Amino acid sequence: MEIDVKKEGQAVIIALTGRMDAVSAPQFDKTVDDFIEQGETMILIDFKFLEYISSAGLQSVLALAKRLEMTNGTVLLSDLNGAVKEVFEISGFSSIFPIFDNLDAARASI
Amino acid sequence: MYMSLLHIILPAKMNNLGNFIQSISGCLKQQGMAAEQIPRVQLAVEEALVNIIRYAYEGQAGDIELRCAIADEQRLIIEIVDSGAPFDVSTLPKPDIQCSVKDRKMGGLGVFFIQRMVDELLYRREGDKNVLTMFIRRKDGRFSRSSSQDMHAEA
Repeated sequence: MEIDVKKEGQAVIIALTGRMDAVSAPQFDKTVDDFIEQGETMILIDFKFLEYISSAGLQSVLALAKRLEMTNGTVLLSDLNGAVKEVFEISGFSSIFPIFDNLDAARASI
Repeated sequence: MYMSLLHIILPAKMNNLGNFIQSISGCLKQQGMAAEQIPRVQLAVEEALVNIIRYAYEGQAGDIELRCAIADEQRLIIEIVDSGAPFDVSTLPKPDIQCSVKDRKMGGLGVFFIQRMVDELLYRREGDKNVLTMFIRRKDGRFSRSSSQDMHAEA
């Protein structure tokens, strides 16, 4: 999995590419841990180029949301497609996170 | 008698997950399975393997055996075998998938995905081994029983 990060105003935008599985999810945890330690509270995850996610990936996203909830922060998700969208839907994760069709729509909600 | 497509044995370590998933994916592609169906199979297999890697051997070394075969024209059979502690994923309860971020529990989802992604899930204890059998019905086309050797399966 490739993780591209950029800061845009108040938000940290994390774009994921490839596969988020039990091997690669800890990479994501490390990236978001660093940002949370730096005091960031608005994290937007762009799933446009993510092809696959397993329960390990979902757990990383949930762990991030739980941490941000403690600091009144927010996590926004955008552009879920194909297998990734299906996994979010059947696990019920679609209804517990704010999900936007694309990055612009997520940005506009901030 | 099933027609064997794949049979690999590797140590139950997280750095072998990629090898297992690539092997099974290659197998599915070669059989012409629809592209949107492949991630579902990968998900069921990953979740089963990760459970074994994390919990089955309780810190000790051990192997995982992954077998894939054509069961009939419509169905693929995947078997995952380990020699760890007995663990029947086919009968575990479903997690609560309705609750909020705060109440949502970590874990439990892997088994749910295995149960959801396959058409039939069977577990048996064979001597000191756990054998998890998944049947996957292909959404389009048929499997052809022409290019490999036959294998004798106990299932």
